Amino acid sequence: MGLKVYVDRLSQPSRAVLIFCKINGIDFEEIRVDIMKNKHFSPEYKAINPMSQVPAIVDGRFKLFESHAILIYLCSAFPGVASHWYPGDLFKRSKIHSVLDWHHSNLRRGTVGLVFNSIIGPQNGFPSNAQAAKEGEKLLMKSLAKLENFWLKDGRFLVGSLQPSIADISLVCEIMQLELLSEKDHERILSPYKKVVQWIEDTKKATAPHFDEVHDILFRAQKRFRERMATESVKNELKSKL
Amino acid sequence: MTLKVYCDRMSQPSRAILIFCKMNGIDFEEVTIDILKSQQHTPEYKAVNPMCQVPTIVDGDFTLFESHAILIYLSCKYPGVASHWYPSDLIERAKVHSVLDWHHANLRRGSVGVIVNNVLLPLKGLPPNPQAAEEAEKTLEKALTILETFWLKDGPFLVGRSQPSIADLNLVSEIMELQLLSQELHDRLLSPYKKVLQWIEDTKSATAPHFEEIHGVLFKTRKEFHELMATKSGKTE
Repeated sequence: MGLKVYVDRLSQPSRAVLIFCKINGIDFEEIRVDIMKNKHFSPEYKAINPMSQVPAIVDGRFKLFESHAILIYLCSAFPGVASHWYPGDLFKRSKIHSVLDWHHSNLRRGTVGLVFNSIIGPQNGFPSNAQAAKEGEKLLMKSLAKLENFWLKDGRFLVGSLQPSIADISLVCEIMQLELLSEKDHERILSPYKKVVQWIEDTKKATAPHFDEVHDILFRAQKRFRERMATESVKNELKSKL
Repeated sequence: MTLKVYCDRMSQPSRAILIFCKMNGIDFEEVTIDILKSQQHTPEYKAVNPMCQVPTIVDGDFTLFESHAILIYLSCKYPGVASHWYPSDLIERAKVHSVLDWHHANLRRGSVGVIVNNVLLPLKGLPPNPQAAEEAEKTLEKALTILETFWLKDGPFLVGRSQPSIADLNLVSEIMELQLLSQELHDRLLSPYKKVLQWIEDTKSATAPHFEEIHGVLFKTRKEFHELMATKSGKTE
C-alpha cells in the first residue's frame, strides 16, 4: 500500500510536504482535502486526522499529522532522501529542531494572523478583524527580523547550513502565503529583509521545478483576490463620489 | 565543562528540562534567569539566547534553545537516558514529535492565554481583556478535550505509551502552571477531564521526587498570589 498525502495546496505546510516528496522522488498519492469547501470537517477526513487539519499522511496502517513530524518521518523512512534535509549530526539536527519549534509561535502565528484576518477570512465570508491582522503583522515583522539577523546570519540556509533542510522548505512555504496580500503590502513587508528575500530564491532554486509547480494554485488565488480587491476599491471610490 | 541550564522554575518548559535532567542523573549547573525581574532581557542573557526566553542550554560551545529541541538533544547525547523518554522506533518517535508539535498552538497557547488574563494582568494592575480571556479559555478547553479523547485514549501516557516520554514531561509541566489560578477556576477548567487528571498523577509518580521538588517554587508563588488577590478584593469591598 503506497504513501497517501492528504493536502490542500493553499495550505503552507501541505505545500512543504508535497515539495519534499517530489524533490526526493518519494512515490505517493496526493489526495486533495478542499479547505475552502470545509472538506477537512467531513467524517471521512476526521477518521484520517481527528484534528481536521492538513496535511496528514497514511503510510500503510500508520497515520501521522503535524507537518514537521511528517517531514522528519519521511526523511527517516525513505532511504533515498539526501542527508542535508535532516542531518545525522546531533548538533545540526538540534538546530533544525530549534528553528522548527520557534516557527510555530512566531513566523507561522504572525503570517496566519495577518493573512487570515485581512484576506482569506473576509474573502470567504468571515468578518475582517483589523486588530487581529495588526497584531499578526507585528509578530510577523518581529519574526522576519529574527530570520534576517539570527537564523540566516551564518549561511544561505537556516541555522548556518550550506544546503537546505526540511526547516527551509517549511518556513519558506509559510512566507509564500504572503503572496496573497496586495502587491503593495507584500513589497512593504518583505523588502527590508534582503537575506530573507535571497533565501526564498535560493530555496526555490534548490527545489526546482517542484516549488513553482506546487505554488501555482497559490498564484491563481492571488490573481483572483487582487482582482476582487481592485474591483471593490473602484466601487468604493465611485460610491464616495456619488 | 558542565552542561549549563538557564531557566526559571516559574517557566513551564524550564521545569520539564530540570525534571528530565534530574531523573536521568545528568550532571548540570542550574542558572536562574528571573523572568519577573526581566533578567531575560539583560545584554548578558541576550548573548546566550537572542530570543530572550528560557530555557536555554549551553553544552561546551554549543548553545540551544526551544525546550522540545533541548529534550531531544539531551535524550540523544547522554547514553544513560532510558529509551522510553525518546523512543528509537521510527513510528513511536513520529507520534511523540506529533504531540510535541501540536502542543505549541493548542495546549500551550490556551494555557498561557488563561494565565496571562487571570494572573499576570491582575498582578500587574493592568485592565482585563475579557475577549482575550474568553478566547484563551476556549482554546484551552478544546486542547484538554483533545488530550482526553485522543492523545490519552490508548495508554496511561501520551500517544498510547506505557511509560512517559519527553512529551509527557513537557505537557504536564504546562498544565501545572494552571495551579496559579484560583481554586474555583482551576477546578472548573480541569475537573471534567478524568484521564488528564490521572495522567498528571501518573507523570508525577513516574518522576518522583523531582517533580514535586521542581514545582516547589510554583506552589509557593501560588500561595503568595492567592493571598495577594484576597487582600486586594478585601480592600475593594
